Amino acid sequence: MWSEFCADVSLYSALRCPGAGRVRRALNCAHSRGLFVLTVQRLNRYYSEERRRSGWTLQTIALRVLIGIGRAVAIVAAKCDVAASSVIGAGVYLSDYGHLILGPKCVGSGTVIHSRVTMGVRAGSDIRPAIGENVWIGPDCIIYGELTVGDGATILPGTVLSMSVPPRAVAAGNPATIIRRDFDNTGLRRTLACDIDRNEVAPT
Amino acid sequence: MSSIAKVLREDFEGYPHGHITSAGKVCVTLFNYPGLQAVLVYRFGRYLYVRRHTVWWWPALVLGAPLYALAALFVRKCYDIRLLMSAKIGPGLALGHFGGIEIQNCCLGERCCIGHQAKVGSADNPEGPQIGAGVWIGAHARILLPVKVGDGATIAPGARVTRNVPKQSLVVGDPARIVSRSYNNKEILLPGD
Repeated sequence: MWSEFCADVSLYSALRCPGAGRVRRALNCAHSRGLFVLTVQRLNRYYSEERRRSGWTLQTIALRVLIGIGRAVAIVAAKCDVAASSVIGAGVYLSDYGHLILGPKCVGSGTVIHSRVTMGVRAGSDIRPAIGENVWIGPDCIIYGELTVGDGATILPGTVLSMSVPPRAVAAGNPATIIRRDFDNTGLRRTLACDIDRNEVAPT
Repeated sequence: MSSIAKVLREDFEGYPHGHITSAGKVCVTLFNYPGLQAVLVYRFGRYLYVRRHTVWWWPALVLGAPLYALAALFVRKCYDIRLLMSAKIGPGLALGHFGGIEIQNCCLGERCCIGHQAKVGSADNPEGPQIGAGVWIGAHARILLPVKVGDGATIAPGARVTRNVPKQSLVVGDPARIVSRSYNNKEILLPGD
């Protein structure tokens, strides 16, 4: 869990203040709401595993209290709630603007998730979406149902996605369609810009 | 007095394990669901609001209005849920999550279920949407124009409704189109029992 946290910190500081000194990076991460939400989720996941393994001990009781406070702060400050059951890889960026309601099965490392994104089950079922590595998810997206988003895929802003996306593809629209098969989103994931020129990703 | 108690009971029963059996259970349900807190604050405000032209209610209004303003401020700042007084909401409203919910200038039937980031009614259109009973409105859905949504209709997540929706139908997409005319949403409305 510590190595995951270190990967998060390095990703956040690379995105929020590239090329800054060590002190400024630490301060910048300390007041990042997205990093706070992510850390609370990681603690919550650790707690639920520990609780299953060894029941109520002094450690789990202390964690329970800490996570209760942490989740309340995450709801009030960032309007975020991330399910404890989801497995989140090392080095994931959650937007600092919040409004995230996330309940995926797993999120791969290097994924960037912008604000007002919803992930969850289709109503009346309990199969959760699986998000691959290095995925870029724009603001106002909804991802629900039994689906897999492949590694390196790009979900454009405002997409309502309820079907699987192949690796390195671009999905857009409501309801979603695949608008391009092979797109490299490394440039998108290097910055925090979330307004994309659609001509840039349009089929060539 | 009994009618407001009945409305509150229905509000609680929209949530899982929401049957009012003991004071402790009421506190736990209230703490777990920010949407329920928002609805209770709305009910309190609306109870006073509809009596604002009756003279013998004015002392209660003087005491109650600041209390409502504080509670509404808390709900808006902490959970970002805006249930304005201009909305007329039937008993048993269930808000699934929190964040970005705006309900104003509209008329909602009983036992509706609304997801987060949903916008119903707009500030610049005083005659807003008329929504029937038992309607399920998904997350990020927008019903801004003065349309009629029939009883038991289902608005899919992310849909933007621009036309009337017949009862028992399912609409999807932006702008919304009708996918099914006989969709049963009884199972996906948050469980009462």
